[in-house]
Amino acid sequence: MKNINIFRSLLIISIVSFMGACSSGPTEIKEASADATSETQEKVKVGVLHSLSGTMAISEVSLKDVVQMAIEEINNAGGVNGKLIEPVIVDPASDWDLFAEKSKDLLLKEKVKAVFGCWTSVSRKSVLPVFEENNGLLFYPVQYEGEECSKNIIYTGATPNQQLIPAAEYMMSEEGGGYKKFYLLGTDYVFPRTANKILKAFLLAKGVPESNIIEEYTPFHHQDYQTIVSKIKKFAAGGKACVLSTINGDSNVPFYKEFANQGLTSGFCPIMAFSVAEDELRSMDTEYLIGHLAAWNYFQSIESESNKKFTASFKAFCEKNNLPGGSSRVTDDPIEAAYISVNMWAKAAAKAGSFEVDDVKKALYGLTFDAPGTTVKIDERNHHLHKPVYIGEIRKDGQFDIVWNTPGLVKPEPWSLYTSPDKACDHVDHEGTYTVTSAQ
Amino acid sequence: MHTLRIKLFLGLLLAGLTCFGANDSGRIFRKLAGNHPDSVASAIENMVNDGSPEYYYILNALLESSLYTHPRIVENAGLVTALPDKNQQLKLYSCFPGGKELHIASFIASDLTEIKIPRKTRNLIQPVAAKIQLYHWNPEKKKLAMKSIAASGTIDDLALLQKVLANETDPNVIKAGTDAINQLSLLLPDAADRLKAIDGLQENNSPDALSILAAHAQVEQNPAVLKHIQQAVDSIESRNRRTEIAQNLFTGLSLGSVLILMALGLAIIYGLMGIINMAHGEFMMIGAYTTFIVQGIFIDLVPPAFFNYYFWVAMPCSFVIAGLFGILIETLIIRHLYNKPLESLLATWGVSLILIQLARTIFGDLTAVKAPSFATGGLELDSQLTLPYNRLFIIGLTIAVIITVQLLLSKTTLGLKIRAVTQNRNMSACLGVPTGRINRYAFFLGTGIAGLAGWAITLVGNVVPNMGQTFIVDSFLVVVTGGVGKLLGTVFSGLGMGFLTKMFEPFFQAVYGKVIILILVILFLQVKPTGLFPAKGRSED
Amino acid sequence: MAAAIVLLVLIPLGNKNGYIDNVTINLWGRYLAFAIVAIGIDLVWGFTGVLSLCQALFFGLGGYAIAMHMSLHKNGAQAALPDFMAWNGITELPFFWQPFQSFPATLLLGLIIPGIAAFILAYFAFRSRIKGVYFAIITQALAFAAYLLFLRNETMLGGTNGLTDFKVVLGLNLSDADVKLGLYMLTAATMLGVYMGSRKLVHSKLGKVLIAIRDSEHRVRYTGYSATAFKVFIFVAAAVIAALGGMLYVPQTGIITPGRMDVQASIEMIVWVAVGGRGTLAGAILGALGVNMLYSYATSAFPGSWLYILGILFIAVVLLIPKGLVGLFANFPPSIEKEKWSVQIAQLARYTKLF
Repeated sequence: MKNINIFRSLLIISIVSFMGACSSGPTEIKEASADATSETQEKVKVGVLHSLSGTMAISEVSLKDVVQMAIEEINNAGGVNGKLIEPVIVDPASDWDLFAEKSKDLLLKEKVKAVFGCWTSVSRKSVLPVFEENNGLLFYPVQYEGEECSKNIIYTGATPNQQLIPAAEYMMSEEGGGYKKFYLLGTDYVFPRTANKILKAFLLAKGVPESNIIEEYTPFHHQDYQTIVSKIKKFAAGGKACVLSTINGDSNVPFYKEFANQGLTSGFCPIMAFSVAEDELRSMDTEYLIGHLAAWNYFQSIESESNKKFTASFKAFCEKNNLPGGSSRVTDDPIEAAYISVNMWAKAAAKAGSFEVDDVKKALYGLTFDAPGTTVKIDERNHHLHKPVYIGEIRKDGQFDIVWNTPGLVKPEPWSLYTSPDKACDHVDHEGTYTVTSAQ
Repeated sequence: MHTLRIKLFLGLLLAGLTCFGANDSGRIFRKLAGNHPDSVASAIENMVNDGSPEYYYILNALLESSLYTHPRIVENAGLVTALPDKNQQLKLYSCFPGGKELHIASFIASDLTEIKIPRKTRNLIQPVAAKIQLYHWNPEKKKLAMKSIAASGTIDDLALLQKVLANETDPNVIKAGTDAINQLSLLLPDAADRLKAIDGLQENNSPDALSILAAHAQVEQNPAVLKHIQQAVDSIESRNRRTEIAQNLFTGLSLGSVLILMALGLAIIYGLMGIINMAHGEFMMIGAYTTFIVQGIFIDLVPPAFFNYYFWVAMPCSFVIAGLFGILIETLIIRHLYNKPLESLLATWGVSLILIQLARTIFGDLTAVKAPSFATGGLELDSQLTLPYNRLFIIGLTIAVIITVQLLLSKTTLGLKIRAVTQNRNMSACLGVPTGRINRYAFFLGTGIAGLAGWAITLVGNVVPNMGQTFIVDSFLVVVTGGVGKLLGTVFSGLGMGFLTKMFEPFFQAVYGKVIILILVILFLQVKPTGLFPAKGRSED
Repeated sequence: MAAAIVLLVLIPLGNKNGYIDNVTINLWGRYLAFAIVAIGIDLVWGFTGVLSLCQALFFGLGGYAIAMHMSLHKNGAQAALPDFMAWNGITELPFFWQPFQSFPATLLLGLIIPGIAAFILAYFAFRSRIKGVYFAIITQALAFAAYLLFLRNETMLGGTNGLTDFKVVLGLNLSDADVKLGLYMLTAATMLGVYMGSRKLVHSKLGKVLIAIRDSEHRVRYTGYSATAFKVFIFVAAAVIAALGGMLYVPQTGIITPGRMDVQASIEMIVWVAVGGRGTLAGAILGALGVNMLYSYATSAFPGSWLYILGILFIAVVLLIPKGLVGLFANFPPSIEKEKWSVQIAQLARYTKLF
């Protein structure tokens, strides 16, 4: 019996390790790009800290893919400062403890010169002490709640005033529909809580009566929205009401479905979402979402030559490397932000002529880059990115029709003027977050 | 000679003038067909200012993004409406006058050019949109239009509503129209009219009735009418309470049925083989992904008219494929672990990790299964109580599965052998029952049922690699409370858990409800430590 | 004993002299904290046969206790409000946070609260003779429910973000290399202490009763021992040990989230002990260290496929080496008789013929 036992187990092991070998795409790509170019060229290492398994894999895998693509493009153009970029890809597996551990590995063992990573605020907060302790440089590409200003993080995602406020302003304007009642609905964690705090302060400051603002939260993975939607229905009964939604992840599908099931339409009471992008729409039945809105700093449907090229390259990259989805992959705001991150770092390193964190940082201040959407600029002082704001309307095919955008770039304010008017962020004249005195 | 020239000149002048004046609609259509935002906006303005209901069809089509130009259409500057029918095929309709179906030889959708309406202009139409949509071809849109007129209109709109309602045939629209008329009638000066309106609202009992009545009570002066409103409100509320209980019962039933499907397979496997299958949720996931693949095949290979059949084809596929995976796992791993529940727990946990990662690698994390059309919508028993078809279907499926499994176990030889092996493996082996094969069949059955559960879940939930994890803990609790002796145990405990969960939800949040259920289970186990219907037979140590 | 010398003397010396870097020290400190938990699990599962799938919950409770204390003393100042309360709009420290301002109270509560929770669960469960699989499932459900509770913002324990950004414990700066070393040594010492205590327990009469309960609970009852009392005792002991591990783990990791105490985390802990070899305390430690090292290595070296590796590992261990790694070595000790060696070689030859 034992013989068959061993035989069978060896069979399993060999089958699965074969599968494992086939699926270990990232390490293969890494070797491929290293082999393709000359062995004699020197390399500079950067870290890629995105979850490739676990609950966050859905969102973060695309970021790893675009970072790889950006690195490949730069290497094909000759690298940076005469060296080729070598990505060190690790999988923190949606485990926040592991994020901290891996960041230590990357900074201290692999001695990477920069890290592109994180998605959730938990992951960023768990690695922040590590980066500050060891003077590393993290590029963080996702929209977040602000109220942070680390000297070791470059934030290429939107601050609240670069997404939430312009969207609320749009909804209140004539062009947006002149809405007067706002239902602030979000998933229960730090981003929606802070976002709604800022939104409410903004709305009140603009004269919206408090009775016209309702705030509500649901837990992660909440599926049953019947009661909430009927509440929204009652709220919207008089007309001129809209929903500002920070619902996250797989709760969106049942929410939009229930919304439509109970007879609410995007014409009557539109949902302006802040966490629904092209990548999420890929997996949703868009029938229920047509006509609803989202606010981002980039849409795949931006009509510019550079964007068309970018989207085509990304699709080709996914196709070439047999990534799931292949040429039906889409680009969206965090993907563009990650792409910007890599290119900004490369450009800054080239400008500074060095890879040392302090030199690169100095070179980054005020640096511009021709991003796929439009030219963007790193702020001269606060480590954030100047970005334009677009409002998009969801189409049948899962893409967005851009209905409005800011005429130029919006300056990032990590500390919102509405909830923390006494705080600001400056790394040039101050040490990050500081209290604004009335003299300023 | 000049007289001829003068006549010609006058004739041309006259013709020109008539073209100018009488062919307004032609100009409008040409502006639309030009598809330039400014000309489209101007055309819309013309139509709205004109006000004649004949233009409403085009306006509605514009609002829907369903107005196109087709190169082979001649009248109305080539403008047509294109709408998808039941089978998602585009059909062409004339737009002025609207609604006549058009047929074109060898029609391809890509010949159509969409007339886009800028959002700015759409918002400018908003004030009259409701009136325009009263003439929409879609009953749902009509209902919504009536509602919004009732909400913001005046008594003068009553006449318009009544006119539209007079030609209406759809019962749902008539109901909505009556509600709208009643709501506006509340503004009438005569108290008797208002009383009639209140009665009408109460009778129809639409979801807004309560808030409409409550809002009106704030401004009503007449005490007799106020009392009547109060009576109406009371009666509506008590009716609503009853329907809410019914709704909760129904949701509890549907939740319980999903749990039962999952727990049935688990109970069979544990009862028969003493195996704790932590990977059971993954077999459900396999069933769901099989459905997804079948859907994909249908989209690629089968004409759209037959699209809905993918669902029925997927059913046996899910069952068989999940079952086959089950046999694979059983042959390779499980068979060495009989009656070692704790080891099997660990080994199947490893299997579940592998399966989840496999799904993630092959499918990525984003997939969507489109529900077949019969499963959308619901059975409307009452204005407040809708029983969604998809949930009804799942309940029906569960009942069918329970009956089939029960018959299988009690009436067939295979079932007899399974029961024998469950009660006393060694004795059955002595009597010549091939226990190895029986194990495999039972495992096939158990995992196949899980696959069916996955197939059914695609109607209501997401399809992601770790979807099995959401159900596994609850399914285990069902098995524990129900005991593995009889199928009935699983059924009862599944239903019980479903009802209790839904009953607690209105009072506590879903999370606290789970904690309470857990405590109840522990307390229940104090009384019956091996479940409702424990396995019979002598157990050694 | 050799292990003790290595852990407590050689490694710290190596760190001080620059041979072993701080990252490794930190890593090993965390692994050793896990090893502490593993010992507890081995006591309750390996020796008493009670499978508990909520050890991560107790681990987390201990971790949260020390985390709450550290959150309140961020800048050395007294009772500053933790960050997440600020964006939640809470202005006053909730009552259940108050006791954690003092370190001794934190220590006490961090051990007592899991202990009491374990006691209640064990008492009601074992009293009504719930055992084996049924008990395991109950513990699993408890872990799941607790995880959901901690995820909520209302529980005011940080929600999904958990508690993080610790700077100071007992006035010592956490980012200081010496403090890290000190924590490591403390963890190592605690682990050795727990190990020795457990060894004494296992070899005592109490230990024999526990093993007897694992092998045949019915007969133990017949001989007059109250199996329930023993089981409750050892379950509570394992819970307290797990909480101790948690308290040592969190200062070295810098963050605690509900994810650290969910069902998956509990099952992973069981796997450590299974891989190492249950029923032998050394096996538990070996398993905890080994599997975690593999996890850390595999997520860096095989980012796309480490889950396959881990999955196969579980299966292989359960099927091929049910006695764990320790059992594997026990089968080939150098002092085996010649006869047995030849039998082994003959068997090996027969296996190879099959291919």
